[in-house]
Amino acid sequence: MVKKALTSIHDLFNKYIMCFIKGDLSTRLSGLIMGFGMFTRGQIIKGLAYLFFQITFILFMIIRGLDYIIGLQTLGTVGQTRIFDEVRGIYVVYPGDNSMLMLLFGVATIFVVISFFLVYLSNLKTCYANQVSINNGIRPRNFRQEIDFYLNEKYHVTILTIPVIGTFMFTILPLIFMILIAFTNFDKNHQPPGNLFTWVGFNNFKDALWNDPLKSTTFFGLLIWTLVWAVLATALNYILGMILALMINKKGIKLKKFWRTIFVITIAVPQFVSLLLMSQLLADQGTLNVILRQLGFVKDFFPFLSNGDVAKFTVIIVNLWVGVPYSMLITSGILMNIPVDLYESAKIDGANARVQFMKITLPYMLFVTGPYLITQFIGNINNFNVIYLLTGGGPLTLNYYQAGKTDLLVTWLYKLTVNEQNYSLASTIGIFIFLLSAFFSLLVYNKTSSAKKEDEFQ
Amino acid sequence: MKKIILLLSALLLVASLSACTKKKTEVTLKVWGSQEDQVMLQEMVDAFIAANTDKIYTITLGVVGEPDAKTKYLEDPEAAADVFSFPNDQISGLVDAGALYEVTLNKAAIIAANVAGSIDVSTVGGKLYAYPVTADNGYFLYYDKSVFSADDVKSLDTMLTKAATANKKVFMDVSNGWYIASFFIGAGNTFKTVDGKKVIDFNNATGLKVGEFIKSFTANSAFVTGDDAYLKGNIGTTIAAGVSGTWNASDISTVLGANYAATKLPSYMLGTTSTQMGSFAGYKLMGVNALTKFPEEAMALAEFLTNEANQIKRFETRKLGPSNIKAATSTTVVADVALAALAAQAAFAISQNSVPDSYWGPGEAFGLAMETKDYSKTIQEMLDAWVLQANGS
Repeated sequence: MVKKALTSIHDLFNKYIMCFIKGDLSTRLSGLIMGFGMFTRGQIIKGLAYLFFQITFILFMIIRGLDYIIGLQTLGTVGQTRIFDEVRGIYVVYPGDNSMLMLLFGVATIFVVISFFLVYLSNLKTCYANQVSINNGIRPRNFRQEIDFYLNEKYHVTILTIPVIGTFMFTILPLIFMILIAFTNFDKNHQPPGNLFTWVGFNNFKDALWNDPLKSTTFFGLLIWTLVWAVLATALNYILGMILALMINKKGIKLKKFWRTIFVITIAVPQFVSLLLMSQLLADQGTLNVILRQLGFVKDFFPFLSNGDVAKFTVIIVNLWVGVPYSMLITSGILMNIPVDLYESAKIDGANARVQFMKITLPYMLFVTGPYLITQFIGNINNFNVIYLLTGGGPLTLNYYQAGKTDLLVTWLYKLTVNEQNYSLASTIGIFIFLLSAFFSLLVYNKTSSAKKEDEFQ
Repeated sequence: MKKIILLLSALLLVASLSACTKKKTEVTLKVWGSQEDQVMLQEMVDAFIAANTDKIYTITLGVVGEPDAKTKYLEDPEAAADVFSFPNDQISGLVDAGALYEVTLNKAAIIAANVAGSIDVSTVGGKLYAYPVTADNGYFLYYDKSVFSADDVKSLDTMLTKAATANKKVFMDVSNGWYIASFFIGAGNTFKTVDGKKVIDFNNATGLKVGEFIKSFTANSAFVTGDDAYLKGNIGTTIAAGVSGTWNASDISTVLGANYAATKLPSYMLGTTSTQMGSFAGYKLMGVNALTKFPEEAMALAEFLTNEANQIKRFETRKLGPSNIKAATSTTVVADVALAALAAQAAFAISQNSVPDSYWGPGEAFGLAMETKDYSKTIQEMLDAWVLQANGS
């Protein structure tokens, strides 16, 4: 992959250098004045557009851009100051540098510079192409032809421009901004606008992994629980959903539609409602405990949600309640699709029900639902709803840094941002979660038969 | 290019000059308050506008409850309200973030008008940063007169014994750093600010004794924990007494009717000495956003919203206890059972100024371990962990 990237960069510069070596005077001049090679070859409006872009860019860089890039290195040096105004009788607040805005604008400026560079290259390429086509006796497209060209042959470029720009502005730019926060000390003691924050390199990563015993205990404790949870929640939901579907699908079961409907009805109740109800029901002084106490099963209460280990168990069970109907629906659809003749020939060959399941049903199911399982697994790693609404990550424990026994990494991240304003550590955790998700998705997906035998599917 | 910049700046100058020559200045302010306060705040704001006709005021209200004020403010300080109220435990965080305007206009009058404790919590590093709004954000004991006599509620141990024989419970939300601190404060453990760092000493010898008491208290069969809803739902039936604050007063008085009573917290037996439970004295404060475009006007508004008349209005409409001395001593306020209990507890209450930011999470964890009788670690180990997390390394 790295090699590929290097080659493409190499190609890019090759083209660029070629424009200078083989280009004539006006092509070469367009390296200095954008659009020059278009003016001289009848593409006035296009050339003007390029020139306008160049002038805007230079003006922007002189007025603001350079400051933004310089500011990116320090993230601000002057804090907020207050000077007493005798006449008004108040302290006048003079805003200092705002590290957060400086980081944001700095990143945005880098995007602007990169996009300018790309436009600059396309300018050279176009000018060189114009020169070549004139040499071959073909007139370059005029403005009207250009529009036609972009509405027909190159329509995909036209229609994708706005989405691509939007993706860069609203997804990739904020993403990079937030990733960069992981390398700063942006927390409640370095909170703009009153205070500045600055670069601290990999300190947050070190803290989370080994440097700070409390934080690293929390990180690894929650990481292990996150993985255990994701595996159990995914596997149990899948297996139980499939068993349920198999049972309903079995020949001789009456009222199939009725059973299916009964289980699907749980989907009709919004997930968060079920979860909040469950958390009320299972609370120490909740309905279930009151009933258990009145029946004499427990003396005081059973800690469904207030004991770490029990709470972990409870969370997984409750998640089955909200998750099994979905996997039942999906699997029963696929079960009905398995050709009956496969089973019939298996029966003739003397295969019993278990062998039929292991040799026909399961491989078929895994083949079709492999990607679904991966999505589920990744979804469970980040299953904020179930944990947050059911236990809120609790019970809190003294062994962890601002986290509870059932907190997933993602709910810890939430607490760090919302309660602790420790944005830099939260961003670091976010990066770890991304790495985790990406690693498992790629690893597992490449191992599934869906990916390996894509073309073999009947 | 320079010409263009010159031209642009000249245009801007003209524009700003023409704005200044208008007859009345237009002032736009935003005020944050909780959902329940909106109607009342609107009336106050209308009164403020009516009283100040020299400027054209446009004042909008936003719904941000006091507990969320700091979080919401820090999310985007420039978009935050110009005037907003918050509980006093948020003040140091807000001041650290450079969020609050120092109060310099009419400072002496504000200090003179409000109770000393409320001014104390509004002051950080010798500077006044907020206007006190209420003085009722504390807790005390509600009890059922049909179970306990006025003498019984003086001692926690008597209450527990009597409740056990009557098959009733004594309620306290021990898994909450705010309430659990009560035992430690009473025993003489401290919250201190040492060299600008807030520290607690709950893991010393006294703290250990307190921890052991909490262990025996939560293990008592007459002890019960839960949230506000559980207290309100069960007081009078299974619960005979509970530690809570004024926000539950109307609900509890309705449920208990003639048996409704409230008083200061009881004392408990720390080893062999009887120890009065302490508490946090909580105040709600109003602050001015440091980034406001109209500091004088915002200060005037904040001062108006927290003056004597409006504090009485707060008490009448929302039962919020005033911090203004004159308002607090008015006959209607003094007659209020819950506020009288709070006033009795005030002598044993401390401010939250020196509570470390990271105190709450581990405090809840400690209380939870006690409630669920998780004794996998010794009390000393747990207190050490709590102090370590709260004080930071």
